[in-house]
Amino acid sequence: MSGSYGTFSTKEEERRKRVVPDRVLIRRVYRYAQTNKRNLRIGVTATIAGAFTGLASPYMHAVAIDSIITPKNLAGFIWWIPLFAAVILGNYLFQYIQTYQMRIVGEKLVAKMRDDMMEKLQVVSLRYFSEGEAGRIISRPTNDANTVRIFIRVGLTSILVDISSILGSFAIMFYLDIRLSLLAISVLPVAIVLVWYLGKYSRAAYRRTLITTSGLTARLQEDLAGIKVIQAYAHEKETEKKFLKSQDENVKATIRAIFISSSYMPFVMALRLIGTMIILFFGVNALLTVPPTITLGILVAFIEYQFSYFMPLIDLVTMYDQYQSAMSAIERMFDVIDTKVEVADAPPERSIALQ
Amino acid sequence: MSIAKPLLDYAKSLKPQKGFTQSFSAFKRLLQYHRRYPWHVAAIVVLAVLRSILFSLEPLYTSYIIIYVIGPPTNTSLLMGYLLVILLAGIGYAITNFLLTYVHGVMSQYIVRDIRSEYYRSLQTKSFSFYDSVGVGDLTSRATVDLQLVDMFLRTWLGTVLNAVFTTIIIIAIILPISPTMTLISMATMPLIFYFTTHLWIDTMPLFRNMQLIMGRLTSYIQQNIVGMKTIRIFRREKDVVDGFKKVEDIYVNTAITAGKIQSMYMPLGPALLTLGAALVYVYAGITLGVPYSALAVEQIGYLILFVRYMMRLTFPIRDVSQTLGTWIAAYAGLQRVQEIIDAPRSVEDMPNARDIKIEKGKLELENVTFGYVKDRPVLKNVTFAVQPGEKIAILGATGSGKSSLIYLIPRFYDIQAGSIKIDGIDIREFKLASLRRQIGVVLQDVFLFSGTLRENIAFGKPDASMDEIVQAAKSARIHDFIESLPSGYDTPVGERGVTLSGGQKQRITIARALVTNPKILIMDDSLSFVDAKTEQEIQSAIEEATKKRTTLIIAQRFSTIKTAEKLLVLENGSVAEFGTHEELMARDGVYKKVYETQFVQKASPILWEGGGS
Repeated sequence: MSGSYGTFSTKEEERRKRVVPDRVLIRRVYRYAQTNKRNLRIGVTATIAGAFTGLASPYMHAVAIDSIITPKNLAGFIWWIPLFAAVILGNYLFQYIQTYQMRIVGEKLVAKMRDDMMEKLQVVSLRYFSEGEAGRIISRPTNDANTVRIFIRVGLTSILVDISSILGSFAIMFYLDIRLSLLAISVLPVAIVLVWYLGKYSRAAYRRTLITTSGLTARLQEDLAGIKVIQAYAHEKETEKKFLKSQDENVKATIRAIFISSSYMPFVMALRLIGTMIILFFGVNALLTVPPTITLGILVAFIEYQFSYFMPLIDLVTMYDQYQSAMSAIERMFDVIDTKVEVADAPPERSIALQ
Repeated sequence: MSIAKPLLDYAKSLKPQKGFTQSFSAFKRLLQYHRRYPWHVAAIVVLAVLRSILFSLEPLYTSYIIIYVIGPPTNTSLLMGYLLVILLAGIGYAITNFLLTYVHGVMSQYIVRDIRSEYYRSLQTKSFSFYDSVGVGDLTSRATVDLQLVDMFLRTWLGTVLNAVFTTIIIIAIILPISPTMTLISMATMPLIFYFTTHLWIDTMPLFRNMQLIMGRLTSYIQQNIVGMKTIRIFRREKDVVDGFKKVEDIYVNTAITAGKIQSMYMPLGPALLTLGAALVYVYAGITLGVPYSALAVEQIGYLILFVRYMMRLTFPIRDVSQTLGTWIAAYAGLQRVQEIIDAPRSVEDMPNARDIKIEKGKLELENVTFGYVKDRPVLKNVTFAVQPGEKIAILGATGSGKSSLIYLIPRFYDIQAGSIKIDGIDIREFKLASLRRQIGVVLQDVFLFSGTLRENIAFGKPDASMDEIVQAAKSARIHDFIESLPSGYDTPVGERGVTLSGGQKQRITIARALVTNPKILIMDDSLSFVDAKTEQEIQSAIEEATKKRTTLIIAQRFSTIKTAEKLLVLENGSVAEFGTHEELMARDGVYKKVYETQFVQKASPILWEGGGS
């Protein structure tokens, strides 16, 4: 009979409590990035630069509307077009560099950690591979490594881009109009609390689905391990009924989790919308006072900037889960790398051949 | 030769071509599952249209505010009305978005459930040799991990695609009447974006697929390494294992980086092109603008802002579509692994004229039976013998002689290629499979018990068995006294959280399980060899009691079993070498006599040939 390795669920292990603090893990991972330090530095710089050049776009629109189009000052295009083109090109180039360099960093870093794990596994005590543990060990250089790979590729850059976008948007907004900025971000604390609180609720719902999922997995595993007996006793119908029942429970739990997790988005969107309405209401009034305290271009830019900090903020909150699971994956990988070698052995080339 | 050589060759042999048409046919097959949920699909379409319309209202009404409220002429009385429309559209958008996500998620769950059920059902019909070749872990992970990838794709794909299509259509429908020229300018880059997005997909998909394939092999390489660590240590191949691993991993990393390079070139191109289009719109608007600060100029500026903001908004659906294409690549690999199993051939099926037949006597006749797992490589050749009702036949033979294969043919775990097997003169293919198997008691070599109570395990073949029948079966299997000695008796749970049973106890429970249906025919694989004398004796007594008055085929390892059998069947390389009573075979001076004398007489240990085996 074949063993049960391979089905071991990473998620199940994620429920275990973590012991190593994040900063220790991050520092150790950073040390792994040393061989690709240059790539990392270029990648991070390009990421931030890409976010900033992306933010320049609405401002350039505002400038075009206010100082070129509205007064029909077409000569302004002579400097505006090259500048705008440069911003677009810069943005493109930075994103290109960012994606490429961060990919190199992520792949090489994880590969190096994986190599270290493999090397360690060859020297640790055989007791380490006791039955039942095999699945757990196998999932570290495979599933866990993959989680970290994807996190560095998608999560880390998203976090960098999101933070840069949020801070950049704030800076530009406050530079353009302090009063309107304060009004625009007034809904922010409510949004953060809401997303955090409801997010917690939905995380709990998803954790509950894990229980039904492991029940389903266990059922499947048992049925397959005993399939010969099931066939010999023509018991297929009965076992299928039980399997379908356990599957239905899982489907129900997952659907409930989907309901909860998707139900908080409308609230967040409503808050963003209220922000837009505040900007429009006060912006239009400011535009109509004599003399106007704001320009049309700035008003439109505000609406766009509000869009460009709100979305990253939500993204950042949902990224929290990814960050957490990447951290526990990293912790488990280091756990393998740090395993003590009980019987330190001479390397093969120095071992004595018995005649 | 390096341990990783086959893996390395495999990784190198992967060509980053083809796969596109395969992916398409897999997608079509996935689409078939959607047909069962027409209402969900319809709801998604309607909600997607609604969502796209509501999404486009805010920029439109903001521009109306610029044109009609700010003016000139200024008309502040309209402001609250427009703001209200924006608010209602926003709330409507939020609600439709929520409903869409939910309905999509529900549909995805249902489809994954359908695929998993189909997968499960197909597994029930696979042959024993299928299960000997594919591990339980692998099969389970296909139904869980791989289907999770499919779920990821199914949760959003339709909504995302429809969103991109409808949003583009609705935006064009709004801006085209306002200014055909500006629409043309702003949409000029769309074909390019479409082209690059498809290109990105076509170029990277084979690479990602290769990555997944390599990773799948690497995972089993690691598995083998860990499971076979002892052997590797003994032969001091550790360095070899790691070096081979690194070589294959290098191919993986390089493929990933190549894919990353292609992605990094194409992915930011869409938004860049859209922004470039926006610049062109500005220039055109600037040139055609009417007298500055006039009502006409304000209208033009208001619409200019609308055009540019719509173009910025379009970057989101485009980004979502390329992300969905990414999830499809992963889902496709997962789907393929599931479909591969579903499509694997079934072992045996009911014949069209099959019926429920009651076995009255239990006479068994095999005539010229030929069978092989692979065509043209027969494991059994021209096997002919007959068993009278109630007779016990012990089957003997070396490992690989076809003993297990022979007994597996009786309940039709496999179908024979030539000849016939008859029970009471009726060909076993005329029986319904369930009817045949329920009337034949089977004790396999592998003593598997399900999690549950002892009572449930014994009553497995007859869930409605009375307590009397269960106790009777347990008594015959000589396990009743042991069960009674447990604090919870027959309600004692077995399995992970239950009582730990010895191999001998487990075997007797499986014997009780076979007896509870009171079968006329019993087949047993008694290969449990290395047990202590007491267990040996208990099992022996159980087998003796169990086989009374039943037609029995038993693979024998013990002399005591052979002794009580009416006849002996000696298999050699898939053919019947000798068949007859102990005395007859001893008189023949053949294989049996030789083995009998060397193994049973000389050694006290009653193990025939090399024990175990199949």
